[in-house]
Amino acid sequence: MIHTSHLVKQFGSFKAVDEINLEIGRGEIFGFLGANGAGKTTTIRMLCGLLKPSSGEIRIDNLDIIKHSEQIKHKLGYMSQKFSLYPDLKAIENLQFYAGIYRVSFEPALKRLEPILEQFGLSSILKTLTQDLPMGYKQRLSLVAALMHDPPLVFLDEPTSGVDPQARREFWQVINDLAQSGKTIIVSTHFMDEAEYCHRVIIMQDGREVALGNPAELKQEYGSANMQELFLKVLGVSDAKL
Amino acid sequence: MSSAGVITSFIKKEFRQIMRSREMLIVLFALPAVQLLVMGFAVTNEVKNLRLGILDYDRSASSRDLISSFSSGDRFQVVPVSESDNAAELISAWKAQLVLVIPPDFGADYQMGRQSSLQLVLDGIDGNSAAVANSYAAGVIADFYQRQSKTRLHRAPLPRLSPGVQLISQMSFNPDLKSSLNTIPGIIAILVTVTSMMLSAISLVKEKELGTLEQLMVTPVKRYQLMAGKLIPYLIITLVQLQVAILLAGLIFGLELAGSYFTLILFSVVYLFTSLGLGILISSRVNSQQQAMFFSWFIMVVMILLSGFFVPIRNMPQSIQWISFINPLSHYMTVLREIVVKGSSLAQLSRELWILSASGLLVFGFSVLSFRKRV
Repeated sequence: MIHTSHLVKQFGSFKAVDEINLEIGRGEIFGFLGANGAGKTTTIRMLCGLLKPSSGEIRIDNLDIIKHSEQIKHKLGYMSQKFSLYPDLKAIENLQFYAGIYRVSFEPALKRLEPILEQFGLSSILKTLTQDLPMGYKQRLSLVAALMHDPPLVFLDEPTSGVDPQARREFWQVINDLAQSGKTIIVSTHFMDEAEYCHRVIIMQDGREVALGNPAELKQEYGSANMQELFLKVLGVSDAKL
Repeated sequence: MSSAGVITSFIKKEFRQIMRSREMLIVLFALPAVQLLVMGFAVTNEVKNLRLGILDYDRSASSRDLISSFSSGDRFQVVPVSESDNAAELISAWKAQLVLVIPPDFGADYQMGRQSSLQLVLDGIDGNSAAVANSYAAGVIADFYQRQSKTRLHRAPLPRLSPGVQLISQMSFNPDLKSSLNTIPGIIAILVTVTSMMLSAISLVKEKELGTLEQLMVTPVKRYQLMAGKLIPYLIITLVQLQVAILLAGLIFGLELAGSYFTLILFSVVYLFTSLGLGILISSRVNSQQQAMFFSWFIMVVMILLSGFFVPIRNMPQSIQWISFINPLSHYMTVLREIVVKGSSLAQLSRELWILSASGLLVFGFSVLSFRKRV
């Protein structure tokens, strides 16, 4: 689904992303882990066409991201780190707007997403102004908005920051279901417990890949009990220092 | 769904957002009404009830006749003065705004057909009002001579002073020299500018702040669709506001549209390409709504000051007149006045149409390019 080779992003003399090579398959939940400034968000922004790579190649569904950007945009849904629906529109009006933008008919799209709306408890609040919704609901609504056009590829940039643990678990349940239905999910997070939900993760530091693999296998490889420990070990920071 | 469907989604969304914001509705419709009312009545260069002191050292039939021509009408209010007063003191003590001094031999000189003179002393602090007062007074005196020479024709030869050539001026289109006929179209032109520029200056940067612009950049929305989706609602809203302002001007000031409504709307739409373009240009270059506000206010103030609204453009230095010439607002204002007051036709205004079209094309084109690069 996604293929990158020698992906580099340079801001002036600062290399935000350095030689990232990825091969992500259909239906995979792929996680980006790393401290702030490690290059997760920059990589994701390049993958969904918001930033131009300085060098290297990105292919999505075997299409070059620069040459076929219009085609690719129809294939991907993006939920940014910053909550970005219109606060002064009702929840349903936001969904209508995004359906319109992606040129899909609203009613069928809503019908298709009904199970998710139910699961998220959003059906009853569709007529509410978005600004009046609690944070957790806003996040879920953003995800639904990103799914209006049924994209095979979904990017979630720190989707659960500022959301309580219970809501986070429900959120991941839905993400899991989406992956099961064949969607590819790219997610970045700094919650290590969330990394356990991913099929594969990449741990980044200073723009470079420091570890890549299945969470269970990585833990075994590094002899760590949990993701937190693994993360610190991989980054070469000992627990004692913290 | 087609490309038009995408633009329609945008238009729907923009209208929903605007209609939902009470502050926005107030800014759009209540403020203009207030502005029209306050400025329409206040910004006037008509001068009424001028306090006039008359120092009559002649006390003849002629001088009394002259004084009575000043006291009729509401332009002058003759204030009582005593013999010992002098003109400069009356003015510095704020007792009078202008003082007419009639010299001792005025009547006799006049009757004999000799050169007679009158002195008018004015408070020149407000130069514009003083100039207006001066011309009013000159008018009254000219009338006086006119009448005198007619009544005297039977008795004595024409005195030298009464002019052989009589100037009859006729104020076309605004016979009463009503100031509102000139200011109201000006205010309307300013309203149209302020509304359209503010709306468009905030539009993009607001989405930048919210993060929704980034979200839009991930979608297949084309830039022209985004721009059209934003500008069409603003165009419609500004035209509605223009309509409301014209209606109010009719109700309150009795302003009647002398020209064609179609011409008025055509010019407004052409002009809006410039003002909306300027707003978009600002919006795509700044990073916050405050910056957008600051820049648009700065540009608007310059445009308004150089529009000929407060100071006639011909009174400005040559170099500033050139800047005024490239100020689209001054052309739009001229056009509004011509259409509203004179009823000028499209053919008569073709030069302005060319200028405003060129400006719209230039500014709008540039802002589209800038938008593509920045967003």
